[in-house]
Amino acid sequence: MDRDETPGPIVQIRRRVRAGAEQIFDLWTKPDLMVRWMSPFPGAVYCKATCDLRPGGAFSLVTSSEESSREVSGTYVHIDRPRKLVFTWIGPLTNNVNTLVTVELNPRGDNETDLVLTHERLPTPAIHEGHTKGWGIILDHLAEAVGSGG
Amino acid sequence: MIEIEARKEAASRTARLDAVFAALADPTRRAIIERLSRGDARVTEVAEPFHMSLAAVSKHIRVLEASGVVERHRKGRDHILSINTRSLDEVDGWIERTRCYWNERLDAMERLLRELKKNHKLGPKDRKRGSR
Repeated sequence: MDRDETPGPIVQIRRRVRAGAEQIFDLWTKPDLMVRWMSPFPGAVYCKATCDLRPGGAFSLVTSSEESSREVSGTYVHIDRPRKLVFTWIGPLTNNVNTLVTVELNPRGDNETDLVLTHERLPTPAIHEGHTKGWGIILDHLAEAVGSGG
Repeated sequence: MIEIEARKEAASRTARLDAVFAALADPTRRAIIERLSRGDARVTEVAEPFHMSLAAVSKHIRVLEASGVVERHRKGRDHILSINTRSLDEVDGWIERTRCYWNERLDAMERLLRELKKNHKLGPKDRKRGSR
């Protein structure tokens, strides 16, 4: 692993899923399928997804129950159907800062797929700069911001 | 007003967390934390094993201090460094929440796959609004 370019702790989840990669890819990228599993409220009263599936295109998912509503949104960074999908992710879980989610789908024999989900925390500037560059600069900014912000 | 305060609190927590993650992103800084996890140490002791100048190590230490991961107290003429474990707990908290969130979502995804399989492939309804 290229440690210098890895921005700190990441969350990675691996699963063997009993479905083809194309079908799983559709679940992640088609709004009418997204609303059927992405909502964190099991009995969501309302759930709406929109997406513009191209690099730089945006998606959003708004869900609400009777008491509360939440929205997650982001921008597609890399689309390689049906193998790989990379997008930024902002929502309550990330304290409304940009993070990066990578979904990799590796076909395994007969209608089975290894799904690897990686969720990285990236400060916003890292994403704009393409996160292999400028990490040191970001560090300095953060150190300054935290140091002076009190 | 309360909402604004809550947002400010969330924003500063975010800034702190990002600073901690950034601090941990560097191998030298991780090594410093590893050293301090075995006990408090003087700046010079921490710097010793690294093939770099004291000034360079000090810079890393300052980043760690700014992020709140490392604290410095003075004992006579010595500067003693120690780990602030609370800052690392926040990181653990984020990792735990995120892992839990995605595991629940993926459970739901697999439930939907089983449902779709039962209903035989994708129905025409699911194809209609496909986006490009």
